[in-house]
Amino acid sequence: MLEISGLTIEVDQKPIVEQSSFSVPHGKITSIIGESGSGKSMTVAALLDILPPGGRVCGQALLNGMNLLDYANKDMKALRKSHIFTIFQDAANSFNPSVKMKSQLYELAGRRMNDTLSQFHTKMENVLQDLGLSATLMEQYPFELSGGMLQRSMIACAFYIKPKLLIADEPTSAIDVILQDEFIELLKLLNVEYGTTILFITHDLDVVVEVSEEMVVMHDGKVVESGKVKTLFERPQHSYTKRLLNSRF
Amino acid sequence: MKSRKALIFWCALLLVIVCLTVFAQFISPYGTNEMNMDRIYEEPGKNHVLGTDHLGRDVMTRLLEGGKATLSIAVVSVLMSLIIGVIYGGISGYIGGFVDVVMMRFLEALIAIPSVIIILAFQAMMQGGVWSMAFIIGITNWLVTARIVRSEFIRLREAEFVQMAKMFGTPTWKIILQHMLRNSIPAVFVVTLFNFAGAVFMEVSLSFLGIGVPPSIPSWGSMLYYAQNDILIGAWWIGVFPGLMIFATILAINFIGEALKNPERRRLNA
Repeated sequence: MLEISGLTIEVDQKPIVEQSSFSVPHGKITSIIGESGSGKSMTVAALLDILPPGGRVCGQALLNGMNLLDYANKDMKALRKSHIFTIFQDAANSFNPSVKMKSQLYELAGRRMNDTLSQFHTKMENVLQDLGLSATLMEQYPFELSGGMLQRSMIACAFYIKPKLLIADEPTSAIDVILQDEFIELLKLLNVEYGTTILFITHDLDVVVEVSEEMVVMHDGKVVESGKVKTLFERPQHSYTKRLLNSRF
Repeated sequence: MKSRKALIFWCALLLVIVCLTVFAQFISPYGTNEMNMDRIYEEPGKNHVLGTDHLGRDVMTRLLEGGKATLSIAVVSVLMSLIIGVIYGGISGYIGGFVDVVMMRFLEALIAIPSVIIILAFQAMMQGGVWSMAFIIGITNWLVTARIVRSEFIRLREAEFVQMAKMFGTPTWKIILQHMLRNSIPAVFVVTLFNFAGAVFMEVSLSFLGIGVPPSIPSWGSMLYYAQNDILIGAWWIGVFPGLMIFATILAINFIGEALKNPERRRLNA
């Protein structure tokens, strides 16, 4: 699905990610794990064209044979818009605090599918109900909702769009353990029901075990190891992976 | 809760002052420049509620009409400084980088010059009436607004919802208006209120120095200017009432701004 090769990211001439290569297999959940500063979030930023100013990227990230890192390409922008959905760490910051949820969810989901407002309303209400959310939240402002509800509203958008690829950048680190669990179940459901490929970024090894089949270990801006979660857990090759596994309770 | 009551009180006071000046011609039976030499320096009483001045003009009429001049100068100049400030600060904050550095150094250079000096220079060149006063105060009053807008834009530019909007290809004008400007409103509103109080004060000071609006147009500042001599002969009412109006107006605006500045009222800490 997504083939990343020779990815190098520099910000202000300082290397953040060096010569990283890994692949995200189609229809599976892949985790990138690494400590803070290992370059995992920057990798995502590069894929989504939201690098900070002064950021430079080279290498390739092929999605359906097209290079995601070719920012100038118009078709690529359209592809990114129609095929990829993103969930960020802090849902409270992912919504504009002064606009009602209704219009924000429409911007995030309805407009991308070219649905009219009324189509969007009926469809979104069904999705929200399926996810155990009340449809009344559409009339509320983001600051009136809890972090968990906002994060679930985000995933509701993913259920609405049914993207080919979902990128989730530490989506569970700002919510409590019980909500984390629910959230992960929802991600799995999305993966099973619609075959959405999911790239999951986290620093929590337990979450990796819970959610994914494939994993990529990043350390100091480099991919040190990648492969099936089971294999890596049984036979870690790299010293960092070993340390990581030993640090589990 | 206490701050809410105070807010309502000060808003009501400001509203009363504004209404009094707007409906001046219905409240007072005399003309603004209607002189009556038989009734000069009359103390506050039955015919003239707030007395008359050295030309026998009704002080209350001039007080209310004067408020019109002072407040309209303040409103127009604040709107002007708001527009300039938002555009300047917005460009600086949104583009960032080198443009931001150059624009901010220029702004700091302007801030370093006391605005009264710039206003005096402009006034010397234009020697104008109400509108040119508003213009002069407007183009010297936008500096703080620009700084606030810039800092808000820099804060919001990094916010995830702005990043997401960019990623989804939302048009730039929409990002600027809906995401950034909209969320800057609370901060901009408060600074604009303080600017408003500053503009009232600036008009009053200039007119008091005799370089404000022309003598034919009453304003609170020019009334104070002419009252200087009258106070000496014991005609206190000519100076005290404009003074009280200025005092009440500036106090009300400042307290409203202070109440809105209260962080509990702000819901945007994104």
